[in-house]
Amino acid sequence: MSAGAVATSIFAVFMVLTVALGLLAVRGRGGQGGLAEWSVGGRSLGAVFIWVLMAGESYTSFSYLGAAGWGYNFGAPVLYVVAYMSCGYAVGYVVGPMLWAYAREHGLVGITDMIAHRYGRPWLGAVVAVLATVFLLPYIQLQITGMGVVVSTISYGSISLNWAYFLAFAVTTGFVVVSGLRGSAWVSVLKDVLVIATLGFLAIYVPLHYFGGYGEFLDRVVAEKPDWLTLPGAGDSGYGTAWFASTSLLNALTVVIFPTTVAGYLGARNADALRRNAIWLPAYNVLLFVPMLLGMAALFVVPGLTGADSNLALFKLVTDALPAWAVGVIGVAAALSSIVPMAVFMLVIGTMWGRSVLSLVPRLHSQPRQKAASQTVVVIAGTLALILTYAAPNTLVRLSLISYEGMAQLLPMLLLGLVWRRLSLAGAVSGLAVGVGAVCALVFTGNDPVFGVNAGLVALAVNLGVALAVTWARPADVDGRADAEVLASDPGTAVVTSGTSRAGCA
Amino acid sequence: MAVIRRPRRPHLLWLLVPFVLYIGALPFVNRVEPVVLGLPFFFAWMLAATVLTPVAAYLTWRGDLKARAGR
Repeated sequence: MSAGAVATSIFAVFMVLTVALGLLAVRGRGGQGGLAEWSVGGRSLGAVFIWVLMAGESYTSFSYLGAAGWGYNFGAPVLYVVAYMSCGYAVGYVVGPMLWAYAREHGLVGITDMIAHRYGRPWLGAVVAVLATVFLLPYIQLQITGMGVVVSTISYGSISLNWAYFLAFAVTTGFVVVSGLRGSAWVSVLKDVLVIATLGFLAIYVPLHYFGGYGEFLDRVVAEKPDWLTLPGAGDSGYGTAWFASTSLLNALTVVIFPTTVAGYLGARNADALRRNAIWLPAYNVLLFVPMLLGMAALFVVPGLTGADSNLALFKLVTDALPAWAVGVIGVAAALSSIVPMAVFMLVIGTMWGRSVLSLVPRLHSQPRQKAASQTVVVIAGTLALILTYAAPNTLVRLSLISYEGMAQLLPMLLLGLVWRRLSLAGAVSGLAVGVGAVCALVFTGNDPVFGVNAGLVALAVNLGVALAVTWARPADVDGRADAEVLASDPGTAVVTSGTSRAGCA
Repeated sequence: MAVIRRPRRPHLLWLLVPFVLYIGALPFVNRVEPVVLGLPFFFAWMLAATVLTPVAAYLTWRGDLKARAGR
């Protein structure tokens, strides 16, 4: 068998296994349980599953492609990924249990119905759902294209890019429509095992094979590529310390309200599973150093990669040095790194629309219909991303530039709103509008970073200022509900009492 | 009216550790020398921060555990 046939066969077997595993996850649960079972796994996942799922969804195809590509092009700035994830898990220690308890208490399944509940306005949930979908679609496309180039590369070209794009869509849709978050968690198990094994292997093998050992590899980097080893990195990157600090800070805050992260939070069986995950998830970040360093190793082995090709820095090393079966297994790990996050992205879009947008149509309001509507939207969203990948790839690439910074603008409305009763509807909405406007204005005029600072953080500051100003300038919202009905608190520590006199026991 | 009482949780300050290590320390650690075990200093620092973050989260968790036990 040719190398292409071997790698392709291994890949095919694992893809069938992936769909089977995803579908097996809900065996014996026979479609019962409605939207919450599908969207957030019936809020029943234990600490280990949550770890696997959240590690699975945060380490995307970027870990294999973008991290190595950034390492190759710039060097040190890529470490912002590790910085924001670690800081984000620390923020998640506080925010995760709070959101979990709020959703459980009020039967909510995502950030859009949390916002609708907090402000008592279903239409606001729908608006946020549409906005969040615009920010999320590019990520689905990034996963589709990411998986496409990986599959095409590891099959030594025997699977064309266009077929590989379609495969990414088909495999993911194949299980997520039926098995939802639980299926994603099961597939994550396979993914994490393969990712840990393959990255661990590459971390040892590549330096030995190409440089004779770690010492020799690192000595060469220090001697020949010092520009890559500190901020702002190689070339005229513009990614200096101010950018690194502001981006890490903004992303650390944003990641905890990112709809896919929240889906993971809400899937937990109890709050302590989330707190313990805040301890164990940062440990996974150590693995991210591998593709970053290997990207720099590729500088010596395959110099002169430019543009999109630099994203393949890691795979150029792999296909060059390893037998076909090993290339196939590494390709599967990278493909699953696209599939799991893509599944959760699609699931979240489906959930937001089923719960917060389509439910406004009276005929679709009932629980079973919300679930059916959500599943339909999953297929539509996936198809839309696939069509855009073929027809207008640059549209979504442009949108992806504002995705994270745009999502960050929901922070005051959601998080501040959940702990501070006075924040008014008008204040939150004006802040969001101004914030998103500022992000678009800065990014699309080429002003990100602006004066070396992440444009999203600047926009968030403006957003917060406007939200506070409008809130204080106008009378408080009239809402008869009690604080405990509207605000979120930490389960297990905060105490809700029925009077103002004494604290009750938890 | 139902009222939410938020108890003091001073141990949450441990969660600032990653922010100090990754962001606060940047101006002082953005350098190649000294090389630590072959790793350039900036990378070695970031790796150390990555290993220490779970420790900080553990100390927070333990603080919460003690607070709950004491209540």
